[in-house]
Amino acid sequence: MITAGIDIGSLSTKCALMDEDQKVIGFDVVLTGGNNKAATEEVYKKALANAKLKRSDVGYVVTTGYGRENIPFADKHVSEITCHALGMHITNPEIRTILEIGGQDSKAIRVNEDGHVDNFHMNDKCAAGCGRFLEVTARAMGVELGELGGISEKSENTVKISSTCTVFAETEIVSLVAVGTAIPDIVKGVHNSIATRATSLLRAVGLSGPLGMSGGVALNSGVVKSVEEALGKEVYIVENPQVRGAIGAASIGQRLV
Amino acid sequence: MLQETIGQERQIQYQNLLNLVGDQRQDTDEDKPLLKASQMRSIINSHRMMQAYREGSRVAYVSEQFPSEIAFAFDMIPWNLESMAIMLAQSVDVDRVFKLTQEHQLSRDICSFLRGPYGMMMENCYPTPDFVLTNTQPCEGLSKVGLISGKGYKAPVLALHAPNSIDEDSLSYLVKQMEHMMSRMEEDLGIEVGPDSLKSVVEYSNQAREYYNKTVQLLRSNSLPDVSRELQEIFGMNYFGVKENARICKVLYEEAMQLAGKETSKRKRVLWIGQVPEESHEILQHMREVVDIVYWAPLWDANMMMLDEKDPLKSIAERAILYHWDAERTKVETSQICEDHEIDGFLIANVWGCRNVMGISQVLRDIANSKKLKHLTISIDLVDRNNYAFNQVKNRVDAFLELLQ
Ligand code: SF4
Repeated sequence: MITAGIDIGSLSTKCALMDEDQKVIGFDVVLTGGNNKAATEEVYKKALANAKLKRSDVGYVVTTGYGRENIPFADKHVSEITCHALGMHITNPEIRTILEIGGQDSKAIRVNEDGHVDNFHMNDKCAAGCGRFLEVTARAMGVELGELGGISEKSENTVKISSTCTVFAETEIVSLVAVGTAIPDIVKGVHNSIATRATSLLRAVGLSGPLGMSGGVALNSGVVKSVEEALGKEVYIVENPQVRGAIGAASIGQRLV
Repeated sequence: MLQETIGQERQIQYQNLLNLVGDQRQDTDEDKPLLKASQMRSIINSHRMMQAYREGSRVAYVSEQFPSEIAFAFDMIPWNLESMAIMLAQSVDVDRVFKLTQEHQLSRDICSFLRGPYGMMMENCYPTPDFVLTNTQPCEGLSKVGLISGKGYKAPVLALHAPNSIDEDSLSYLVKQMEHMMSRMEEDLGIEVGPDSLKSVVEYSNQAREYYNKTVQLLRSNSLPDVSRELQEIFGMNYFGVKENARICKVLYEEAMQLAGKETSKRKRVLWIGQVPEESHEILQHMREVVDIVYWAPLWDANMMMLDEKDPLKSIAERAILYHWDAERTKVETSQICEDHEIDGFLIANVWGCRNVMGISQVLRDIANSKKLKHLTISIDLVDRNNYAFNQVKNRVDAFLELLQ
């Protein structure tokens, strides 16, 4: 039976389709926007089209992410922590610690050899250190989100972004831009600031075994590099990291049917 | 202050309170039958609250875990600053109260259990106290709010300082403070409280305690979530020393006896540690769908302690010291609770700005880790809704519940 996993996040909505062999046969990502039901419909349709399937071909739907309980056609909803753990595990069962940085929260997850969560830790009430933080700071610097990784590589004199609050950081960045600080130096500073927060989360759950990163922010090579530098440890980046939650959800569907 | 003036003031304060009544914050489990003991407690609470606004009543603001027996020996109504904040969160327009505190530049980083009473006093909604009776533990901040309120109402503030360790020196140090407190109260009120008053209060306290303890025993091997909640309420109300409380405890025990064994659920048990929200709070409702919640505070050894009727102050002193969150004692006590109550996981609720729970949290997480129990620490605000978003917390709670299953 084919199962679908849909991860309805604050910034983007992801869908993955999986067959009985736990193989991903189609996926897609759309921006969530203001209507998560509409985004879910859209991404589901797109993923089905990519896999050349019809809705009736799917036997079980598991939703995850912030909007998981809003989807009427879901058979089950599961937290994204469980889903990300499994989504990572089925790709690389060696991974024992996962750093997942999503749109509005970041998580460190300890996972056991079966892909079950042993422990997790999440950011506190501020979105600093999350995808939203990058979005806001990119806007303040007038650069595209997707370019941040490449830009940070050009940093020669990295600045320290001291603020731990997204709004304060934005103000700090605007001031740095105003005094002519080189953009790559600010971008690298932002990445380092995210890495500092991420390492605290990872140490809180107990960093052990190989470390993997999932979530949309894992697509930013600059953040990954800063995390590696901060930990002195290599970070495994899974393919399509932003879809790991959806893949984990689809995999839970396979375990349940 | 003259009694007539206090009486007039209290009338105004009562009217102010009524004016502040706000919308119900959320749906309650209306279909859920309440325990008889809970109904009794709610009536007694309302009655006591009404009495506190009456002319001629004696009111003492007290901090959490203050030995209420002392207030009751003086026929005083203890007005528990912290518990009252959570009760008011259910019924008054707390947004208005917090707005007022902000206008007075009280930082939102301060825990809302402290800001709440502060705002209520600014709104002039609390009854003027005759005394403010505090203890420096578990919360010095609360003790300071007591101090400020005493200044505001020109009421004498008498504070107990409980040391951390139990030995003859520390016990007699605390006993002397209580004796001084009582003689100062006698002096100010112009009355003499004979040993008989304290004796009968202590007898009622022990009567209640006897049933309370037996109920805790039943909780160990039976799934009795409503009973656990009621124990939490009784602990929070801290009315040990009056007849009504002994009745509530007796009725609760009888109800627990009837319910014991009927509920065969093998649901996982989560120990709720830290500040406790009102019963209808969405986090509790959400968790109750999946697990049984056992509240930590009512199970502390200090709550089980019977007072020595021959030497009551010494045993009250011992209890006050036991209430201290001494790291080593907490470790031993909580480990025992886990075993006795077959706990599967900890939920540590840390109210924003509360350094007390934050301070002891690591000790508790260490206990959970050593027992291989799952645990989750959440940061919440139980009174100021502007400081908390359910979905953000729910996301963590859901993952924790999944971990437990
Ligand atoms: S929540 Fe913490 S800081 Fe606030 S009154 Fe209670 S113990 Fe004190």
